[in-house]
Amino acid sequence: MEKLKQHPIVKKAGFNRIVLCGVLALMYLLFSLANKNFAGLPRILSALNYAYFLGFLSLGVTFVIATGGIDFSIGPVMFCAALISGFCLTSYGVPMGISLVLSVLVGMLFGVFNGYLVAYCSVPPFIVSMASMNIAKGLASVFTKTQTVSWPQSSAPGGWYRNLIKMGSIPVGLIIFLAFAALCAVILNQTRAGRYILCLGSNQEAVRLSGVNVKKWKMLAYVICGTLVGIAAIFFVAAYTTVQPGYGDQYNNEAIAGCVMGGTSMAGGLASISGTVIGVFVIALLQEGILALGAAKDYQQVITGIIVIAAVYADVAARRRKN
Amino acid sequence: MGKSDMPNKSIVERLGGQKVIVLLVVMVLFAFFCIASPNFRQYSTVLSILDYSYYIALMAIGVTFPLITGGVDLSIGTGLICYSLVGGYLVVHKGCPTIVGILVAVAFGVAIGLLNGALVALMNLPPFMATLCTCMITRGLGALIVNRLGISWPTSGTEGSWFRDIFKTTIGDIKVPLGFLWVVLLVALMAFVLNHTPIGRYAIAIGSNKEAVALSGINVRFYHTMAYVISGLFAGLAAVAYSAVFSTVQPGTGAGFELEAIGGAIIGGVSATGGAGSVEGSLLGVFVICLLKTGLPYVGLQANWQQIITGLVLIGAVLVDILKKKRSGELRAA
Amino acid sequence: MGEVILTMKDIDKTFPGVHALDHVNFEVRKGEVHALMGENGAGKSTLMKVLTGIYAKDSGTITYEGKEVSFHNTREAQDAGIVIVHQELNMVGHLTVAQNIYIGREFRKGIRIDDKKMNEEAAKLFDRLRIHIDPTETMSSLTVGKQQMCEIAKAISRDAKVIIFDEPSAALTEAEIEELFKIIRDLREQQVGIVYISHRMDEIKVITDRVTVMRDGAYVGTLITKDCSKEDIINMMVGRVIYEDPKACSAVPPDAPVVLRVEHLNAGRMVQNVSFELHKGEILGFSGLMGAGRTETARAIFGADPKESGDIYINGKKVEINSPQDAVRNGIGYLSEDRKQFGIVVQKTVAENSTLANLGNFMRGLFINKRKEAQVAQQYVDSLATKTPSVEQLVVNLSGGNQQKVVIAKWLVKDCEILIFDEPTRGIDVGAKNEIYKLMNRLAAEGKSIIMISSEMTEILRMSDRVLVMCEGKKTGELDIQEATQETIMTLATREISI
Repeated sequence: MEKLKQHPIVKKAGFNRIVLCGVLALMYLLFSLANKNFAGLPRILSALNYAYFLGFLSLGVTFVIATGGIDFSIGPVMFCAALISGFCLTSYGVPMGISLVLSVLVGMLFGVFNGYLVAYCSVPPFIVSMASMNIAKGLASVFTKTQTVSWPQSSAPGGWYRNLIKMGSIPVGLIIFLAFAALCAVILNQTRAGRYILCLGSNQEAVRLSGVNVKKWKMLAYVICGTLVGIAAIFFVAAYTTVQPGYGDQYNNEAIAGCVMGGTSMAGGLASISGTVIGVFVIALLQEGILALGAAKDYQQVITGIIVIAAVYADVAARRRKN
Repeated sequence: MGKSDMPNKSIVERLGGQKVIVLLVVMVLFAFFCIASPNFRQYSTVLSILDYSYYIALMAIGVTFPLITGGVDLSIGTGLICYSLVGGYLVVHKGCPTIVGILVAVAFGVAIGLLNGALVALMNLPPFMATLCTCMITRGLGALIVNRLGISWPTSGTEGSWFRDIFKTTIGDIKVPLGFLWVVLLVALMAFVLNHTPIGRYAIAIGSNKEAVALSGINVRFYHTMAYVISGLFAGLAAVAYSAVFSTVQPGTGAGFELEAIGGAIIGGVSATGGAGSVEGSLLGVFVICLLKTGLPYVGLQANWQQIITGLVLIGAVLVDILKKKRSGELRAA
Repeated sequence: MGEVILTMKDIDKTFPGVHALDHVNFEVRKGEVHALMGENGAGKSTLMKVLTGIYAKDSGTITYEGKEVSFHNTREAQDAGIVIVHQELNMVGHLTVAQNIYIGREFRKGIRIDDKKMNEEAAKLFDRLRIHIDPTETMSSLTVGKQQMCEIAKAISRDAKVIIFDEPSAALTEAEIEELFKIIRDLREQQVGIVYISHRMDEIKVITDRVTVMRDGAYVGTLITKDCSKEDIINMMVGRVIYEDPKACSAVPPDAPVVLRVEHLNAGRMVQNVSFELHKGEILGFSGLMGAGRTETARAIFGADPKESGDIYINGKKVEINSPQDAVRNGIGYLSEDRKQFGIVVQKTVAENSTLANLGNFMRGLFINKRKEAQVAQQYVDSLATKTPSVEQLVVNLSGGNQQKVVIAKWLVKDCEILIFDEPTRGIDVGAKNEIYKLMNRLAAEGKSIIMISSEMTEILRMSDRVLVMCEGKKTGELDIQEATQETIMTLATREISI
């Protein structure tokens, strides 16, 4: 196993990511065998619909985990963004374009809120997440007066937003998602922000003592996350149109799972955008497969929970071995 | 640790002091709602507040222990729903007597508590991550076992509904909130455990300085795990209280309960970073939250405002805690 | 003094790159107070750690109560009756004093912990030792000195037969030191063997029966306290042959401008009213024993730790430094003592670590110019002779000395005018050390000003133009390199107290 890990191709592509691709392929095979109707475009498209919004959530939380923190308010914040902007759209007649921008803004504001508390007030991230989660749920419910919000269908006015997912047979959503993933990878690996975020996740004190304003960059990670969550909301409504207040939690773990599976370390300092992308596809395929088998979504929750435990434990064990 | 050269007694005062402050807050809030809304100041309102507080109070009693070790248990919310569903399933669909359902629910809680303890204390996973996962797992498991259908434990008056009478009973014409008595007794019991038994003592020590505890030859892993087992046990008891008060238990719910319990504990004086806290304080903190939850609609605020306010109050409580620590640890002589 | 209770013979211990203990002998008798002295790095702590099972010895024997023993952890040593009172306290802040003393062996009444009995027993213990502490107080509300007294009481309550005190008086007030000595005298009456590690000459003279001196990991000798003088001890501590000539005279011209002036710097107990000047092109050596406050002073100047008061002037102009950001902006660089914790980012490469303090200079628009980064990093790898297969190597894979060079490169890339090097050659082999010395001299010649904190006498004497000596938070003296000798420095570094 160790020798295999040292092989140049494996090193370049990343051991984790290769394993994940293998898992992806294996899963697809198994589901296709179990259900004759599985193999084929419709299922893949359905899985992709799930992957888009989840993918943006995962990308966002990757930045936060890279700083060594955590954010499990992302699901409810996504819903809050979708609900608030959707309510403005349907009840206040705000034009579609602006509503979409509003969605991103709501996400960003939560990112600022979370980031400020964690970076400048030293509040433990899990408490900020817990509080944010409930504030988001409460805010959404209050704003929409607990009503479900339905975004317009493709044929309705303003329905062009659904083209963000698919235009004819072109998987626009996939293109946009991968483009953003590439952007995130560039930010993380080629810009100052990304460099500081990863470094402070690995050794915050060393970075502070090098004269860097760690608080600022740490908060930025949360703001980036919030912004991506706002974008995730857009893709959620584009795929499913209906948003109900009071939900959103289940996506937290799945987003974190996709991120951690892909090689991002919970301890901070190590992050892989490509790993996150593949991880998200694995989760999306899993959920689609379970749906296809007619099994309850709950199986997916249990399985995802176990996967995350395994992934985090593998990370913890690997770090202990290095020490 | 210690101060530069001035001994400072007020930490002790403050710890005793925070409980008093929270008690005052409870009284002020109650008075405020009574004054602001005539409908609020009815006996039935008080009963209602108490009814809906039992399960949160029980969760809070239990979660105080992981919090004191410097960790957290996020699985208590969805967990209690899961345990209630499992126990209820046996009673409603398998014809088991209610007592069996209750025992199974509590046992399941203990089992998950053991799992959490193993993940955190033995495998060294970050507590929020480990319990977030078990939160997911219990949510899925609960829904799977009952096939996504809600469960209604035996309603008052039917056979097997005696367990509801444990929490509220009618003497003559007056409804008596018996559950409050049990909660207070359990608080007294767990306060004893926290302050006078090794389980509690070492939980505090682990939260304060884990290495020092290990160096003293104490089995840290065991006592660390026990904190989570206690949390699981009380989540199980909370499941019973929840089933007794609500007519139906729905799968997929429960997320957000833990905020009320953990928030209550922190408002009541439990330190977010461990080492300090009290069971009585947690109970008082839960009352603050329940008062807000029930009282806000009476002053015209939608119930959902309570979620927002609870979240803000939690952050406020933690900020106060952090400020206290900053001021006392200001000049570290090393 | 009674019979011998503990004998350590021919103890040898080597860590990678460092011969920590070189056939050391040490013996303790019942009812004696035996001082163990030596500079930082002499091996005192290491010897005691070998005794109490924290480290495993490579060779040699330990005989305790007539039998040969080998402890594998502190618990075993404790159970046998050998207890060490550490410098770093191991107390649980949120519990009370009594609860701390009896942690792990609480008195029980059935399932209930008998706190009342614990408080009574603790009070009795404190009475016996004549310590004035309330056992019901929360540990974290006590001063550091009082906490240490509790640590000592805890050790004594374990019925120890050998107690090792590691720098016990460092955090104590004069009154508390009196109490400590009374306790020690009582213990001596009870035939307990006491090892007293300290650098305070006058305390040694007052309380100890014998003095053993170690130097550079080796055993130098044992003297009977009342028959020896302070100078004798100092000579043994430093009396090494120095192979490299100390710097003959300062390389700094007398009219060199003052680049850094620190006035009345105060930051807690470790930095008390420190004032000094640093000239352009000068290497100012900061000497002193461990716990003297040199690192704390440096960190306060650098803004890494908050300060109570004090003014900093750079090139005559007053500057506000409240964070490392401010310091770096003003041209100050700080190479910290512990590079693993504070110096390097382990998950990153040599190149990435090198530019961390000056990343702004490597931008092309919004993106990092990685080619320039690699080029510059390679430049410094070459000029510092850092052994690494490439600049893309992760720093975690380099040896300690080379990691240090990467950190030095980071500050050179930033081109700081004022550099504070805190133990720059600690844990580095001789070859690399010389390279760093050459580098420092070159920097000074180029006009950079350097503060060099070092616990190695040879290094101080070889590199400094001037030597500033600190002891327990205060500046005790400044010496030009001509007047600096091991003895004069050591005299300033060991405290004078009147008991």
